[in-house]
Amino acid sequence: MKRIISLKVNGSPVEDAVSDNMLLIDYLRDSKGLTGAKKGCDGGECGACIVLVDGRPRPSCITLVATCDGTEIETIEGQAQNGRLTPLQRAFHENLGAQCGFCTPGMIMTATSLLRDNPTPDDEQIKEALANNLCRCTGYVKIIKSVRRAAEMTQEMTKVTS
Amino acid sequence: MNTKLRNGAAGQPLPLIDGIEKVTGRAVFTADLDGADCLTGRILRSPVSHGRIVRIDVSKARELDGVVAIVTGTDCALTYGVIPIAMNEYPMARDKVRYRGEPVAAVAAVDAATAERALELIELEIEELPASFTAAEARKVEAGQLHEGKPGNLEREVHHEFGNVADGFAKAALVHQESFDCAEINHAQLEPHAALAEYDPERHRLTMHTVSQVPFYVHLMLARCLEMESSQIRVVKPFVGGGFGARTETLNFEIIVALLARAAGGKVMMRLTREECFLTHRGRPNTKVTMKIGLDRAGRITAVECEAVMAGGAYAGYGLVTILYAGALLHGIYQLPSVKFDGYRVYTNTPPCGAMRGHGTVDVRHAFECILDRMAREMGLDPFEVRRANLLEAPMYTANGLMVNSYGLAECLDKVQTASDWHDRRGRLASGQESRQGSRRGLGMACSHYVSGAAKPVHWTGEPHAVVSMKLDFDGSVTVLTGASDIGQGSSTIVAIAAAEILSIDIGRVRVVTNDSVITPKDNGSYSSRVTFMVGNAAIEAAKALREKLVNAAAIKLEVAVEDIECEGESFFVKGANAASQSVLSFQDVAIAALALEGTITVKGTFTTPVKAQGGKHRGGAVGSTMGFSYAAQVVEVEVDVDTGQVRVEKVWAALDCGFAINPLAVEGQIEGSVWMGMGQGLSEETHYVDGLPAHASFLDYRFPTIAESPDIDVQIVESIDPLGPFGAKEAGEGALSGFPPALVNAVADAVGLDANFLPLTPDRVQAALIKLRKAARRKEAAS
Amino acid sequence: MSEFLPDFRLVRPQSLDQAITALQSEPGARLCAGGTDIIVNMRRGLVEVETLVDLSGIADLKTLDLDGNALRIGAGVTLRELAQHPGLIGPYQAIAQAAGLVAGPGHRQVATLGGNLCLDTRCLYYNQSHWWRKANDFCLKYHGDICHVAPKGNRCRAAFSGDMAPALMVLDASVEIIGPDGARRVPLAKLYREDGTDFLMLKPGEILTAVHVPVQRGKSTYDKIRVRGAVDFPLAGVAVAWRQDADGAHLFQLAVTGTNSMPINVDIPAPLGKDEDPDPYFATLEKLVQKAVSPQRTSTIAPHYRRLSVSALASRLARALI
Ligand SMILES: Cc1cc2nc3c(=O)[nH]c(=O)nc-3n(C[C@H](O)[C@H](O)[C@H](O)COP(=O)(O)OP(=O)(O)OC[C@H]3O[C@@H](n4cnc5c(N)ncnc54)[C@H](O)[C@@H]3O)c2cc1C
Ligand code: SF4
Ligand code: FES
Ligand code: FES
Repeated sequence: MKRIISLKVNGSPVEDAVSDNMLLIDYLRDSKGLTGAKKGCDGGECGACIVLVDGRPRPSCITLVATCDGTEIETIEGQAQNGRLTPLQRAFHENLGAQCGFCTPGMIMTATSLLRDNPTPDDEQIKEALANNLCRCTGYVKIIKSVRRAAEMTQEMTKVTS
Repeated sequence: MNTKLRNGAAGQPLPLIDGIEKVTGRAVFTADLDGADCLTGRILRSPVSHGRIVRIDVSKARELDGVVAIVTGTDCALTYGVIPIAMNEYPMARDKVRYRGEPVAAVAAVDAATAERALELIELEIEELPASFTAAEARKVEAGQLHEGKPGNLEREVHHEFGNVADGFAKAALVHQESFDCAEINHAQLEPHAALAEYDPERHRLTMHTVSQVPFYVHLMLARCLEMESSQIRVVKPFVGGGFGARTETLNFEIIVALLARAAGGKVMMRLTREECFLTHRGRPNTKVTMKIGLDRAGRITAVECEAVMAGGAYAGYGLVTILYAGALLHGIYQLPSVKFDGYRVYTNTPPCGAMRGHGTVDVRHAFECILDRMAREMGLDPFEVRRANLLEAPMYTANGLMVNSYGLAECLDKVQTASDWHDRRGRLASGQESRQGSRRGLGMACSHYVSGAAKPVHWTGEPHAVVSMKLDFDGSVTVLTGASDIGQGSSTIVAIAAAEILSIDIGRVRVVTNDSVITPKDNGSYSSRVTFMVGNAAIEAAKALREKLVNAAAIKLEVAVEDIECEGESFFVKGANAASQSVLSFQDVAIAALALEGTITVKGTFTTPVKAQGGKHRGGAVGSTMGFSYAAQVVEVEVDVDTGQVRVEKVWAALDCGFAINPLAVEGQIEGSVWMGMGQGLSEETHYVDGLPAHASFLDYRFPTIAESPDIDVQIVESIDPLGPFGAKEAGEGALSGFPPALVNAVADAVGLDANFLPLTPDRVQAALIKLRKAARRKEAAS
Repeated sequence: MSEFLPDFRLVRPQSLDQAITALQSEPGARLCAGGTDIIVNMRRGLVEVETLVDLSGIADLKTLDLDGNALRIGAGVTLRELAQHPGLIGPYQAIAQAAGLVAGPGHRQVATLGGNLCLDTRCLYYNQSHWWRKANDFCLKYHGDICHVAPKGNRCRAAFSGDMAPALMVLDASVEIIGPDGARRVPLAKLYREDGTDFLMLKPGEILTAVHVPVQRGKSTYDKIRVRGAVDFPLAGVAVAWRQDADGAHLFQLAVTGTNSMPINVDIPAPLGKDEDPDPYFATLEKLVQKAVSPQRTSTIAPHYRRLSVSALASRLARALI
């Protein structure tokens, strides 16, 4: 079965015919060429595929795209604006929050949602929010640091502008 | 080779040069390559552990619409493997299957659904044979033999004695022996295996994109198994999502997808599931270690005797090296007058083991450091003191002929002892002051080391160990070409720093091009922590050659002798002359002057390990030999729940001697990552089989730590400046791993008095051991 | 080893009536709420679905009403909402705690209470790929004819592993069910039976629509045993509710998940007297829990461990409440 859905992907409205059994991850990667979200496991266990659906982190490998009709999807590709990194992207880059980089898109998307909800999370809150984003390279130390730094950078920026 | 630092690019923390791609989603991994016009490849795997293939009938599958190619064991009659003298594995089983999950056939079809349906249509008849899943079972006389000519399923035994062990034990004031059972584990790199093969039947050429750590090996094995001229093969490595040793060997799916592409005359993408990654395996084998150590009254080691039995899985793979490493790396960290090693690598009907971070050393180091701690306790010595009593003095050669040129372990010990407040906190913790209900805290420590690349590679051809090319062109940019695989460890960044440092240029001028066999020089790949040492040195040599040309051109232009040219940053001028009054040449000026002499400049640098580093003369003596060892010490603080057996790591203090930190940011990251991976092995990681079927083939069942239970890791870098290392550097990515599990076990002993002789310390095991301990204590009390 | 979902038809009803109609008129129809369990299972080939009825569009299922009289939680309320709900404290605390301990934060965004209560049972021999199960000749729970856990038995022992059920059971919750024959309400404990294959007492075409919790006094709490600090299903989980009677005696209610094919209430016959020595009381309580549960070899972690640790956890939680 196919159906027409309309949704926003990284700010752009799209309309697409998708089959009922298509997963959001496959839609993004195969139909939209957005390969930033990764498949790291056989379903729901690693967080590498996490994207934001209506602002909230979702493992896209266990989400049917047909159920995302009318939603707004944000992926790692939509983060940098005109090629300039977001504070989170910059912090992950500068603090080695990414080693191999495979978990990074999922990490950054989850953290993006966290910082929107809570601009000044402490380490425990960061851990809580990233608890289902697995990373095999970093031991998470620099990931926590990157999120903390991004929060500080954002705070500094808002201080300057206000 | 210890070059004086010029502009300070080396030694500064630097984000990865390919980091922007990673944080923006632009990094293209193998599975991200355009698959639109690709066929999908899938593998049919053996459902039985051991059996003779009676019949494979693919005719029904072939008839299915959308199936383009099918290959089976008959399509490849040549074995593959990482060790030239021990290749006994076919990409797809031919007459026998030896583990559940072994590939027997493969399909390329228009989409995954069709490929999957085709697999269901392949008729496979196997006559089952008796199977063994543990080394003990497999060694029994009546056990089914996996390979002909291997009675008792003994793949390889190794017996070494250096010094006189009997004399050593005779001299000891205390002798202590124990046995440890360390579970098999898997790398679980986050990126599942994937490969894209494209075969052009007009030109008979094959292009392969794959997740390899050593594309050169893949190249060799493709040429061998497909019986192709290697000149007709091109291997490219895109971004790779971790390796940890899983991708050092060429893996069966890489050959299979190439066979499919050739059979289809087209492009085939194969993405393995996580379960299939676990079946492909090559992890650290289950190892049973029995070790005996003798100490004199001062705590000095007099003798070590070690037996290691490894359940290696169904094929040889890297097994020979693993078992040799286990014996060889007993040496090189402490003063050992006499050592005896007996190693047995056994075939079992389980997925083949292989190299994993800390290859060979981890489980024997574990036994060693646990026993040393227990002996210290018995003798009333502090764990730090017993280690200090046995330190080496570099430069020296170990009893088995390993060269130790630099040695920062003493400083590592000092650093973690101070940072963890060891003196004041140890022992006091166990009183329960800082603990939650039902829990006890404790501190433990251990040391470890690892090689910076094998001084003699397994594919010994006589060529240099590493080659790096550099190109300077009209645009004033420097392009470095290297075959070294960056798999997330940051090796490309190291190469860029080395170039910038020697050329005294801004790192922004440097671009690094990696891993495309038609462009980049051959490299032996990313394993055994060889890249920084060997490729780093080759990069330095290449940069020096380029620099010489630049200085020469500047001398001609300024009309002075080469010796009179001085250079500061990117400016060239005449030495001693008044800077203001003379003409200063910019890098661009000099580059153009140099190009005027000969056009586009290409230079290369190589690295060859000195013979003196290549190990002892005994059989297997090359294994373990290296130009320099990294050293690490760490302290682990734990909390043990005495009722539920749950062990929580509260904090880790680690110090590692990496010779010199070319990129301290990356060194920290490597130490954190390796300590943490050691924690996974220590706490919760384990591959277990139910009649040969994996009971761990997902991230719910293979429990590597989440962020929730991962502790803060305090990292300190020690720089012993190795005389042969690039800028004095040695490895940083493996050395700290093997110290974690013993430090953990020692901390648990401190907390609750339990001497655990098993890994991992899962709550069920800990609880059972605690109950046994309490029962024994009660019996003892009753008896007295 | 399937990297795609088998074909099915998706229906997205906007009301309960539409959902019930869809469920009834479509053969082989299954419900999907957050999908964090069923989609995983579909990917593994554990459930055959011809029609998937997606409940996420039904607003009626998403309300939570808490007033002085009682608590009613719609089946579509997400675990994230429950974990963060400011009203779920004191006597209702176990609900928020259990919700906050399910899976990971990404799952809890969409995972629902209804889905958690109806979560499929779990077993080492079941939660595997098609290749794996086929190589092992399947089992009672799926197209096979033996149980690998208890080969002599004639039923499936797969473990019920939802975290929410015990937290609600100790609060005497009941569930509201709507189906072809209208609505009915049953105590939550009666929703389950001790059979891993057929563990839910829902009739064909029925939907669980809400959970009712009567007025509570006292306090409640939930915790679980697992190897890692997040993501893992409970090896065992235990909820305890506590209140004091007029004489100052301590009354406990206790329920356990992860040890049987259904969540179970543990009968605590007597209260702890006001001035009674707690140590022997809790020692007895531990024994009672150990006796009540019957963990099987459905995971790689030994059943004996699950029995001992859940009882230790139970008495620890109970002690902490007084
Ligand atoms: C990595 C991972 C870890 C997990 N860890 C845990 C854990 O620790 N604890 C835990 O409890 N769970 C865990 N889960 C399972 C799952 O995420 C949760 O149980 C979740 O609450 C299920 O809710 P859902 O809405 O997503 O259910 P769905 O997947 O939508 O549905 C689950 C089942 O319930 C049925 N169903 C749903 N709604 C209704 C209804 N209203 N009436 C009748 N039947 C209905 C469905 O048909 C289906 O059979 C985990 C899952 C994953 C992938
Ligand atoms: S308990 Fe037995 S029947 Fe049930 S899923 Fe496990 S093996 Fe199958
Ligand atoms: S790929 Fe989605 S959670 Fe692993
Ligand atoms: S950086 Fe490699 S998995 Fe996280």
